[in-house]
Amino acid sequence: MLTRLAEELPQFLGYYNVMLLLKAALITLALSAVGCSLGLMIGFFIAMVRVTRAKLLVPVRAACIAYVEFFRRIPFLVTLMVVFFVYQVVGRNTTVFTVALTAVCLIATSYTAEIVRSGLESVNVKQWEAAETMNLNLLQTLWWVILPQAWKVILPPAFSFFILFIKDTALASQIGVVELTYAGKVLNNKGFSAVLVFGCVLLLYFIISYPLARFGVWMEKNLGVSKTGKR
Amino acid sequence: MQYTLQFGQVFPYLPYLIGGAWISLQVAFLAFSGGMAIGLLGAMGKTFGGRFTRGAVGAYVSFFTNTPQLVQIYFLFFALPEAGILLSSYEAVLIGMTLNAGAYLTEIQRAGFISVHRSELEAAETMGMSLFQSVWYVIMPHVVKVLFPPLSNLYIIMTLGTSMAAIFGLEELTGRAFNVNAITFRSIEIFSLTAGLYFLVTVAASLTLTLLGRWLFRVKAKVF
Repeated sequence: MLTRLAEELPQFLGYYNVMLLLKAALITLALSAVGCSLGLMIGFFIAMVRVTRAKLLVPVRAACIAYVEFFRRIPFLVTLMVVFFVYQVVGRNTTVFTVALTAVCLIATSYTAEIVRSGLESVNVKQWEAAETMNLNLLQTLWWVILPQAWKVILPPAFSFFILFIKDTALASQIGVVELTYAGKVLNNKGFSAVLVFGCVLLLYFIISYPLARFGVWMEKNLGVSKTGKR
Repeated sequence: MQYTLQFGQVFPYLPYLIGGAWISLQVAFLAFSGGMAIGLLGAMGKTFGGRFTRGAVGAYVSFFTNTPQLVQIYFLFFALPEAGILLSSYEAVLIGMTLNAGAYLTEIQRAGFISVHRSELEAAETMGMSLFQSVWYVIMPHVVKVLFPPLSNLYIIMTLGTSMAAIFGLEELTGRAFNVNAITFRSIEIFSLTAGLYFLVTVAASLTLTLLGRWLFRVKAKVF
């Protein structure tokens, strides 16, 4: 086996193969980054709706809760399949990348909505009440009072969710998005040894994910709002 | 936009799908139990071990938590045969999920170990307990309360994670959904039904875990 690996290695590191892998790595990263950023925005909106108290908005709030609870309990692969086939009906010419991006967005929204909500709840109730006493409306309260305190709580878990999702996007290869796992399958089908190809793909995922994970840990330590009030 | 949803064609396959959900739960349970054992050893190694053990456990954890489970199973399934190790799809999925879970559970259980006070360990040592005894009688009962919420959370995530077994031809819930899709071609219906089943299965698992936690360990955890 080792001799076979040594024989294949020079050919495997040819220009086109390396470019394929690098482009695929970029797509993996883009899928997760764009999807999670969009998800964070929509998730923020959902969390905002959930802290409102108007009677009129009860059905909207119920819909938001249902959405969040539902999408956190179905697998990414199944979401991907549903979105894929719904796009077949709605818009025939959408690229698979868009399909995967939508699925990432749907899942990321539900998870980040929970993260943002727990961040907003981490701010002391008295701050909310004080803002209300000052006659600030919801948007003003969030922007001037709550967010400056809550973003430190929200950002680290949101970031670690993004890193977690880099790995989950491997499933997007199932609908044909040319990301890292798919590139690995292509190279394997070209005849390269599976040990070489998938070992390389694993290594690339590690190279992407590990520094980001370290950065996440660093961020958690340095932004960390200690409950003893040192900061 | 000319597509009429016809759930009627899909519903006869409901018992077949529920059977698949049962297999999903089994796989998740087996992988979780195996992962717990690995995680316990890993956490012990990382907390009490020497430099070499700590390094090895650290490498294992950061490798498995920083690469996708899917590709890990791909490696087991497609690359190991080159070295002469032939795994069936069930074995490959189970081993892959167990190793992956072991890495996450090492981290979770280590956090639990850290939450134990040093003086309690010293007291256990004074009582003449061995390492395993002090883990079992002193650390475990104390740690279970801290660890129950993240553990049950991971169990749910793993139940969802079993869906990737379908890619390797294992006929669990998603795998059976692919089969029914191939028979009926009602793709949207079948996959949204599958999503609903996953929702029900995980809610049931959460409920069971919460009740178990209340009964056995007096942990106050919420389902939602």
